Amino acid sequence: MFVAFFESLKYVGHLLPLAFLRVFLGYYYLQEALHKFNSDYLSRPRIAEQIAEWLPASHAPEWYKLMMNYMVPNWVTLAFIVMALEFAIAISYIIGYVVRPVAFLGIFLCINMLFISGPSHEDFFKTLLAIHVMMAWVGAGRCLGFDYFFFKRRRGIWW
Amino acid sequence: MKHFFLFLTVVFVGLFLFNLNHQQKFTTDEKPILRVYAYNSFTSKWGPGPVLKEMFEKQCNCRIEFAEGSNAGILLQKLKIEGEGLGADLVIGLDQLDLPKALEGLKWQQLNFGKLDWEDQIKPALANNYFVPYDWGALTFMGQKDGLVPHRLDDLLDPAFKGRILIEDPRTSSPGFQFLHWVIQSKGEEAGFQFLEKLLPQANLGIPSWSAAIGLFNKNPGQIVFTYVTSPLYYQLEEKRSDRVAFGMEEALPLQVEFLAIPDFCRRCELSEKFVNLILSPEGQKVLMQKNYMMPVLKGIKDETPFSDVLKNRHFLNFEIPSTADVDHLIKKWGELRRETGS
Repeated sequence: MFVAFFESLKYVGHLLPLAFLRVFLGYYYLQEALHKFNSDYLSRPRIAEQIAEWLPASHAPEWYKLMMNYMVPNWVTLAFIVMALEFAIAISYIIGYVVRPVAFLGIFLCINMLFISGPSHEDFFKTLLAIHVMMAWVGAGRCLGFDYFFFKRRRGIWW
Repeated sequence: MKHFFLFLTVVFVGLFLFNLNHQQKFTTDEKPILRVYAYNSFTSKWGPGPVLKEMFEKQCNCRIEFAEGSNAGILLQKLKIEGEGLGADLVIGLDQLDLPKALEGLKWQQLNFGKLDWEDQIKPALANNYFVPYDWGALTFMGQKDGLVPHRLDDLLDPAFKGRILIEDPRTSSPGFQFLHWVIQSKGEEAGFQFLEKLLPQANLGIPSWSAAIGLFNKNPGQIVFTYVTSPLYYQLEEKRSDRVAFGMEEALPLQVEFLAIPDFCRRCELSEKFVNLILSPEGQKVLMQKNYMMPVLKGIKDETPFSDVLKNRHFLNFEIPSTADVDHLIKKWGELRRETGS
């Protein structure tokens, strides 16, 4: 498996710049998740306040606004899901494992953040969204990642 | 896909187990928490919020947690969405324009502080059962002492002022709406909007907030800005400069009164009332005056301070609470005027 990790450079070396971007993005998500983990993100209703402030003025569809209003009292669960998703994306991107399906989770997270983070963060999350799409499209875990090992043996669309 | 679901399960379960121990250090504080909704400049480190919080926490055996909003509209919106679910014990920072909106869809506790020694200008603001005034100010134009000086609203149309007037947008800023309301009250609706039509090419009337307007003024002090009568005091006391002056105008100046209120669904209602008592005590009023640069609502607080002379020889409009319909009507007409003039 470790041989395949580095062997990938030989066969899909042209994806190396993308692998660099993937690891960088993974590091960014790791920082975000660790910050949430080490702060009072799970014990204070930060995410509920964020939703209450920005969601009503966002372009989100009405059903989404209604659903999120229901989630506000259950902010602890929501905060945990956000943090866990960030950890999952971080680990996956850094080691290059199950990058394709995890990129879809990244897209899902970005769309939600677009609606609840206010206009000043809109461009940032749109850019992030585009990068996740790219990661899913090319299967960025195949270069300098464990996905190459599974891709070689199993093929299929998920590697 | 099996790998993906296994990976997600490991991450979620691992985090959950690890988090059980980890979060204990954030939840060991047993003190009751008073959740106070207030606008950003109140809770910021240079605002009165942190000082009042420290004073209160010394005596209440509790902790104050501020929930912030960029303005009163956002505060009310947050209160409606999350207030009941998360708990909201006190709301600070509504002005008279927000009160009708605050009564729509939200219930408030009745408060009675009528026996305090209120300033005369504030007494009309006490004619309601729910909202208690805690500071107030008057608005006018501020500029350089040796610069251009407007004496009445019509002076603003003088070509000498072209491109040198900074006014907040009435749609997004409370002082901006105070300006619009002031013009309409001083001149009547029809003449008022005719005046505004002439003023639009002269002035920058699209500044989103008071702080943005002051920021622009600081970059180019040759301009005049619509702000609080107490604003020059800030420059005098904090920046040791006395070259800025709040102009007296022939028209009576508009008043802004800031209110606090306790939502009906408060969880620490007794603590909220105690905090209100602190805000309305001489010590609390002094903190508000010195940190918020607004006038105290109680008599005797500003005596022998730089604030005592600020409002001398100025006359003010009578305090009134415009209805939501009036506010919406003026904002709508203002929007139409801007569209028609293409500004």
